[in-house]
Amino acid sequence: MTTTTSGAPVAPASQVSLDAKGLAKVRKVKPYNPEKRRSKLLTALLWLCGLYFVLPILWLVIASTKDNADLFSTFGYWFGAKFSLWENLKDVFTTGNGIYLHWALNTVVYALVSAVGASFLATMAGYAFAKYRFPGAKIMFSVVLGAIMIPLTALALPTYLIFSHFGITNTPIAVIVPSLVSPFGVFLMRVYAADAIPDSMIEAARVDGASEGRIFFQVGLRLLGPGIVTVFLFALVATWNNYFLPLIMLNSSNLYPLTVGLAQQQATSAGGGGSQALFSTVITGSLVSIVPLIVAFLFLQRYWQTGLASGSVKE
Amino acid sequence: MTQSVVAPARVRPTSVKPPKKRNANQRRQNRAAYIFVAPFLLVFVLMLLVPLFYSGYLSLFATRLVGGSQFAGLTNYIRAFTDPAFLSGVGRMGLFLIIQVPIMLALALFFALAIDSGRVKGAGAIRLLIFIPYAVPGVVATLMWGYIYGNDFGPISQVFRAIGFAPPDLLSAGTILGSIMNIVTWEFIGYNMIIMYAALRSIPTELYEAAEIDGAGQFRIAWSIKIPAIRPAIMLTVIFSIIGTFQTFNEPSLLHGLAPNVIDNAYTPNYYAYNLAFTNQDVNYAAAIAFLLGIVIAVVSYVVQLSTQRRETKNS
Amino acid sequence: MTDSLLNIAPYGASKLSDEYTPWVWNQVKQGSNVWAIPQDAGPMGNLFRTDILKKAGITTPPATWDEYATEAATVKSKTGAYMSNLASNDAGQFLGLLWQAGVKPFGYDGDKGVKVAVDSADAKKVADYWQKLIDNGSISTDPDFTDDWYQGLANGKYAGWLTAAWGPSFLQGTAAKTSGLWNAAALPQYSTSAKVSGNWGGSSDAVLKTSKNPIAAYEFAKFINNDTESTLQFANKQFLFPTSTKTLESSAFTDEKAAFYGGQQVNKQFAAISATVDTKFQWLPYMDYAYSSYNETVGKALANKTSLSDGLDAWQKDLVTYGTQQGFSVNK
Repeated sequence: MTTTTSGAPVAPASQVSLDAKGLAKVRKVKPYNPEKRRSKLLTALLWLCGLYFVLPILWLVIASTKDNADLFSTFGYWFGAKFSLWENLKDVFTTGNGIYLHWALNTVVYALVSAVGASFLATMAGYAFAKYRFPGAKIMFSVVLGAIMIPLTALALPTYLIFSHFGITNTPIAVIVPSLVSPFGVFLMRVYAADAIPDSMIEAARVDGASEGRIFFQVGLRLLGPGIVTVFLFALVATWNNYFLPLIMLNSSNLYPLTVGLAQQQATSAGGGGSQALFSTVITGSLVSIVPLIVAFLFLQRYWQTGLASGSVKE
Repeated sequence: MTQSVVAPARVRPTSVKPPKKRNANQRRQNRAAYIFVAPFLLVFVLMLLVPLFYSGYLSLFATRLVGGSQFAGLTNYIRAFTDPAFLSGVGRMGLFLIIQVPIMLALALFFALAIDSGRVKGAGAIRLLIFIPYAVPGVVATLMWGYIYGNDFGPISQVFRAIGFAPPDLLSAGTILGSIMNIVTWEFIGYNMIIMYAALRSIPTELYEAAEIDGAGQFRIAWSIKIPAIRPAIMLTVIFSIIGTFQTFNEPSLLHGLAPNVIDNAYTPNYYAYNLAFTNQDVNYAAAIAFLLGIVIAVVSYVVQLSTQRRETKNS
Repeated sequence: MTDSLLNIAPYGASKLSDEYTPWVWNQVKQGSNVWAIPQDAGPMGNLFRTDILKKAGITTPPATWDEYATEAATVKSKTGAYMSNLASNDAGQFLGLLWQAGVKPFGYDGDKGVKVAVDSADAKKVADYWQKLIDNGSISTDPDFTDDWYQGLANGKYAGWLTAAWGPSFLQGTAAKTSGLWNAAALPQYSTSAKVSGNWGGSSDAVLKTSKNPIAAYEFAKFINNDTESTLQFANKQFLFPTSTKTLESSAFTDEKAAFYGGQQVNKQFAAISATVDTKFQWLPYMDYAYSSYNETVGKALANKTSLSDGLDAWQKDLVTYGTQQGFSVNK
């Protein structure tokens, strides 16, 4: 399942806060402190469920320390006879003349360029839809909204055919350009901009004689920060994890991102016809490939939080 | 179509200006707006609308290895409707939708509510734990679970054997759909949870503090205040899940290597379209399948939205 | 397809024919056109576990298929191991066995005419032979190159593997723990008078029509696949079994003793087998489809242990339908 759309709903938040204000006026509220009412049962239940989410990753970590033989002959959740992590890591970065580094670099480039581009385009468009009334705006926005429903993978095939007609398959462009469209990002930024940028501020800037472009870059972008980060992060993860698009667009292995490279490596180790068994290399490579995003999640947690919730913090 | 999913944004008209300058200003602002929208629209048209129409166009032709391309009318569509491989793939994804999506979303909602309730120790850590699989690419997730499911050496089989039971074959014809459901659930609970959780966080606390002081229990608060309040967010996760389900590709394409006799080349419609295009060299039929798939998704999403809207109006 | 490939005969490739094993050369040429330089090939042989066979009282590898069947039953009953595995997802292996039996399932005249005869009486004879071994449980039908199958090779679930010339070095990396226990032999034969083999897998390097410098591309393809030094590198590092006769006859290649095979000169064994491969085997212009269709027909029959003969009928029907649909005129 690959939901390539990015973003999270900010809209409902502002909607609710209106009702909330109505209610809140009626009563005076005592300090509310849920910290004191911790439930042991719920805590235990949730931590138990948490195991489900880490156990597979834990398996991956342990499997990365085994060689091919131990991988298939020892218990999955304990170390093998030999500790082969360092050897495996060496194999990851040396197999096929260090092709893995190429893949890693490609992934970073594709994901960053796509995410920056997608969030920039979505921000500009969303801002315009929110803050300007111009002929055709309604119909354009409806078409964009309807497009959220189009399965992106259904488009990948015709896009591939069009690209191959112009000879741009098997280039980074073929992976990056289709990833720049994020109809959901536009929707999100429109909702976000409507709330985050007061019209009075735009008016004031206009009175001061600022051009529309300058208002967007100096007033708009600053206030839209958290929203942009949210769109950016979701777009980043979507491209980082994308498999289908690069799979059909690329066929030189030094252009592959990690997903396609690893899948291909797994398939050749299981492919026969003069190939090598690279199981532990693929497993260790997989582990290395997920580390950057997990670390990013750890550090950017705060940003997910502010970006997603700030729809309600304002006003 | 999505307009009903999330409450439409309130766009405030810019304040009224003196009539004289208004026209010039309006024209200037229009121009600026078009410039802002143009880059997105350009890519949108080129990468979304053009391929969409091209796909529709291609689906009306038939190309042979010998003899080239010919106009074929609706032949490809008629073929699809009588193609057991395609229909069983759609049916399989329908089953997936009915079973996996509710389980995944119910769990996501439960986790979001539990973490939001403030009654769980270490809620922040738990939230991250649940969210982390979202950082794992589908390819890696499938690879990992594939090993865990392994009949001879997978940890699940190992545990079964250790306690003296016959291990279940998780990659057999009868079980593999369930195994795929599990992988997808594992990958996307966190994603859906974070969407719901963000919506929950933006409900002002006053709203349920009041109820709590009145003695309402947590379940009651969750059911009557929190869930209705985040209904649009839940609806959004439903729609994304429908789209995602019918597009399923990574899991079958990678598990095919582990269970080649169980996963045929039409296991999911998307996998079928891929195989048609790249193995069978039948691009036209593949385009028709992709197009139909889009229609199926649009129809299902629309029906789901319509039915919940009707329920909402009844309730209010 | 040949549409996108450059005919390299004018660049001097037709002169190379003497330097390659004849049956391999037949695979890359069509009439006077040469479409590629052969890179590696997979003449088939029989790899087996000497220790498991010994436990069943067998000391010499079976010379005929009849012996093979009898011994397979013995091995199963005495040791519990399968004599070998006939992969349910690998048309290549099955076609290699048909090839050895002299079956000609496919043909292509280079234009519109194709021949599909996977349900011929000859092919069904081979299928019936394997059907018996499957039905009495002496061979398995697991999909190959899966994690489980690797396990099976490493832990003695399979006492042997009917594989191609790239198999021996491949196995060394996969089942390292069983080093010294393996041995290589020719495939069992249908008649004791003539030794024959089939081919499974292989590759070649072609020059694309769009190539900007076809001469350089051709020279490079020729160098890496013809130069003795280079082909030896391929053979040792990437399991690519050489096709150039010079390399196949060079002592640096044939004299190497493999510890994994108890010191046997495995390369020499397979070089000898290479000379026995039938030269007349042909393919369809749509093999990708044929392989994928195999999995849904014959492969399913193997996996579910149902009638292989019915599986072949289904495969035949599917290949004819597809061929006709694609505008070929299909003959039997």
